[in-house]
Amino acid sequence: MITFHQVSKRHGERLVLDGISWRMDEGECVVFVGHSGAGKTTILRLITHEVAPSAGTVQVGTFRSGRLSRGQRALLRRTLGIIYEDFRLLNDRTVFENIALAVRIAGRFGNEEVIPRVLFALREVGLQDKQLSFPGELSAGEKQRVAIARAIVNRPAVILADEPTGALEKKSSDEILDLLRKIHGEGSALLLATTREDVAAQIGGRRLSISDGKITEGDVNPSLPVTAARLFEAGS
Amino acid sequence: MRWFYFQEAWRSFSHHRGLATTAILSLTAALTVAGVFVLLAHNARITMRMMGDRREMVIYLKDEVSRDEREALMTRLHQLYGEVTYVSKEQAWIDFSDQIGDPQLLESVEGNPLPASLHIKLKPELLNYSAMEQAARQLEQFPEVEDVRFGGEWVKRLDNVGNAIERGAIVVGVLVAIGMVFVLYNTIRLTVLARRPQVEIMSRLGATDRFVATPFILEALLQALISTLLALGVVFAFQQAFVARVVPIAFMPWSWVGLFAGSVLFLAWIAAVLALSRVLRAVGA
Repeated sequence: MITFHQVSKRHGERLVLDGISWRMDEGECVVFVGHSGAGKTTILRLITHEVAPSAGTVQVGTFRSGRLSRGQRALLRRTLGIIYEDFRLLNDRTVFENIALAVRIAGRFGNEEVIPRVLFALREVGLQDKQLSFPGELSAGEKQRVAIARAIVNRPAVILADEPTGALEKKSSDEILDLLRKIHGEGSALLLATTREDVAAQIGGRRLSISDGKITEGDVNPSLPVTAARLFEAGS
Repeated sequence: MRWFYFQEAWRSFSHHRGLATTAILSLTAALTVAGVFVLLAHNARITMRMMGDRREMVIYLKDEVSRDEREALMTRLHQLYGEVTYVSKEQAWIDFSDQIGDPQLLESVEGNPLPASLHIKLKPELLNYSAMEQAARQLEQFPEVEDVRFGGEWVKRLDNVGNAIERGAIVVGVLVAIGMVFVLYNTIRLTVLARRPQVEIMSRLGATDRFVATPFILEALLQALISTLLALGVVFAFQQAFVARVVPIAFMPWSWVGLFAGSVLFLAWIAAVLALSRVLRAVGA
């Protein structure tokens, strides 16, 4: 589903990712753990094709880095659900409108399907009574729930979560992680990036440690036979 | 979905009222200038047409031309140049006498020295200096013709005035069009930049350029439409004031109003597409 092959990324002189290779399959849960600046967010941005690799290839489903037009990039992003640490909600729209926007962008559903889909997503995150509130009226935990509802409303194959509990206190953080586990349990693949070991432990899944742009710990290629995986790693 | 685009356009419009108002006022000013010029050009055209209709060519006939020769000539001239009217020697004398008005002056003239003439009301395509001059040269070749007069200098001046108005209208039109594209281009650019977070979020969620751009284009069209209506209102008020205080002038015909509004909307669309094609690449990574 997602494959990185010898991917490097430079920002000017700085090498952010240093020839990393890893893969994840459908329905899997992968957690990247590493310090700030280790390269976690860059991995997510490479998956969404917000940035292009300096070397190597990133493949997401049938989309391969380096060859995507703006239209294809938009199409790729519509197959993903993305959750950011800072929520990235539109403050001039209600909770309902924020989530409905993702449905309209997906363009797969008619007008009559927008309301039921949004209400269903809101029920899943437990915010059905906040649908007419604006983001400014919500707590940080509620905002992240809205972001999660927006990410899942189109039933994407993969959910990318970049430090989803970074701005939350313990109780809200636990609730968000429970919610993400529940969503993953319903079939979506989940890729989570965090600096916190406790979050990685709580969410479960396959853990990959990253430090200074290199994967230092974890099984980068679990679904291949051991010999093939080693060959793959040897080549990276 | 289409309704959604209109809602988004209205949302952007109402959230950036200051920017929208500035753009509308700037556009209204530019379009008013253009509208007043179009109004003047239209009235100048009416005046020119009225004056042009009076343009005629006078052919003085030799005294020895017989009735049959004259009628044959009239038929030929009618086919070639336009409507022909015969003025006999006698009629010419009566007209001349009416113009002079003093019978004592006329008594000193022996006989009737005035020639018979043919007055040609030229076909519209011949109502310009070069065509009239060419026609005059051709007519002088006819054996029945003594002399040809068409007021060359006057026609030349009329043509020059007409051409100057036409050229002026084109220059003003082009200047206003450039100004309008510039104003709208920058307004849309500023609007997109003001809504940069929204555009970025939409882009991250997988919105296509078309999805992001359509509301902005509708917003530009809305601004252009409001400006056009305001400018036409100002031009109408100007025309009414002119009619009341100076001389009666006509307002633009509906076809001109439609063409004016259509051109403005087309230019607004061009400006918006140009602005968005650049700014979306910069904003929506």
